[in-house]
Amino acid sequence: MTGLLAGFAIALLIALGLVAARGARKTRALSERLERAALELQRLQMAFSRFAPDHVIERIIADGSEGIGEKKEVTVLFADLVGFTALSESVEPVLLVRILNGYFERMSAAITEHHGYISTFIGDGILALFGAMAPNPWQGNDAAEAALAMREALAAYNEELAAEGLPSLSIGIGLHRGTGVAGVVGSAELKQFAFIGRTVNVAARAQDLTRSFAADIILTDSVRQGLDRRFVLSALPETAVKGVERPLSIFALEGCGG
Amino acid sequence: MSTMREVEWESCLLEPIPAPKLEQRFHRETGRPGSLMRFLEGSDWLSDSVVRLSVQINTHVRVDADLADQVGLVVSQDNSCRFCFGAQRAFLRVLGMSEARISRLEQNLLVRDLSERERAALDFARRLSRSQPPLSEAEVDALRGHGFDELEVAELSGLIGLHLFFNRLSTFVALPPRAMENFPDQWWVRAARPLVAIWFRRMRRFQAPDSLSEGERAGPFSEIVNALDGHPLARQLRIVIDGAWSSERLSKRAAPLAFAVVARALGCRGSEREARRLLALTELEDEEIDEVLDHLSSPALDELERLVVVFARETVWYQPVRIQRRCREIRSHLSRGQFLELLGVVALANTICRLGVLSGGCR
Repeated sequence: MTGLLAGFAIALLIALGLVAARGARKTRALSERLERAALELQRLQMAFSRFAPDHVIERIIADGSEGIGEKKEVTVLFADLVGFTALSESVEPVLLVRILNGYFERMSAAITEHHGYISTFIGDGILALFGAMAPNPWQGNDAAEAALAMREALAAYNEELAAEGLPSLSIGIGLHRGTGVAGVVGSAELKQFAFIGRTVNVAARAQDLTRSFAADIILTDSVRQGLDRRFVLSALPETAVKGVERPLSIFALEGCGG
Repeated sequence: MSTMREVEWESCLLEPIPAPKLEQRFHRETGRPGSLMRFLEGSDWLSDSVVRLSVQINTHVRVDADLADQVGLVVSQDNSCRFCFGAQRAFLRVLGMSEARISRLEQNLLVRDLSERERAALDFARRLSRSQPPLSEAEVDALRGHGFDELEVAELSGLIGLHLFFNRLSTFVALPPRAMENFPDQWWVRAARPLVAIWFRRMRRFQAPDSLSEGERAGPFSEIVNALDGHPLARQLRIVIDGAWSSERLSKRAAPLAFAVVARALGCRGSEREARRLLALTELEDEEIDEVLDHLSSPALDELERLVVVFARETVWYQPVRIQRRCREIRSHLSRGQFLELLGVVALANTICRLGVLSGGCR
């Protein structure tokens, strides 16, 4: 009888041990999965820090993206390829995408090198912001330097395209400084950190004017006021644009003296 | 495994130069191996400052030493300093903190394991490190609301400032992080961990509050230094700042220029006012100072000063690999001594201007 009980107790202990070992294995596996998930989340957070300010990302992680918005003074750079529609009809789609990607690559480098942030690519257009990700008291100078760097980078790219017998590209760039709302916008399916307001529209209008005045970079008076004297500007006639009450005071950016 | 190991990092920008006396002094005063001082050989001011401030990292008056170590880890992570993070992580591992807890601290997932007081301190560390926007006095008050007294607030802020200084210096020089990252996993460290822990704990110094003398209460950025009065760090910062102001390797305007630009970038008006006052003493006119701060250039500056101004701006918020490439470019224009002092001055400017919040400096 005692032997039977001892055997039973041993069998029970073994069974309990097996259950405990299995439980421990499961817990370990779960911990490892949690650890991997946390690591992945952290990687994502690091990757996203290029797309929105750190404090915005942290708020998204903590509370979701609802209600994240703040008023900011930002310089907007709007760039568009001139004659792109004609180009898109004259070259093969694969080649067109390669040309366009090469263009975006070089323009992005010129913008980020000068503390700008690419908000979005709209077709062949680029919307870049200066002072949106972090406070930037030198945003006007940065945006003007970025525009000049884009001009230079495009000239170099055109030489590469010409060497391949491909058509050259030309751009129009508009710059405007003003206030607006920076925040996370979009639908449940797609959200992005964006800058919203009239400032963006005015920059786009200034870009449109590059065609009328045959100047590749046009900036408004609000940008000019923050520029230092190294920049060489030519005043253009005041011009009325859609959506803005008073005619815009605009300038062509010729270059930088030093 | 930490994502910090994935941070892109350039090869070291400076050749180590044996500096036996300096290495011995560092080892004697901090208890740590002095070999890193080889990278700082070339600037007496910077190497002296690094020894002084390294001692202060482990000098505690009120704040719990474990909390202070965790603050070092989160600030180093926030600044993406692989070298400092590796060193801090190694320190915590040897002292017995588990890899899992360090990972959770790194991932800011320790919410339930930490007391409210500890959480407040770590959040404050992240905020002061970023200063984007600059901290308000209400945020400092919130820390007081969690039971930190005046000296603890000063000590905690000072510690964060020290880490900001070392994070920048280590990142700009691109100190090699591998040895630090692998240190706790070495077989001999694991085997001797209890003994190494005793050695590491000996590095910690607990001191009584210590006040500045009347003479030490004057000098550049005295309001900020005086806000730390009571903590031994105040005296050391006074010496380090005075040294930066009397450096002969850079021009006499280099330090106030760097401080003014960093203050402008951070939006710390009080620090900018003080830097402007100090710049006026160097015979720069008000209009010239305006021009420098509005445009980061002026014909009134010489070539080296123009470089200081542009570089100082880059050091406020940065990605390690980009700033390291920029530093490599700058290195080719300067002597080793000039380069080291430039890095030291801008790192110091970032620390002091952020600490401006203690004296209402960001109003």
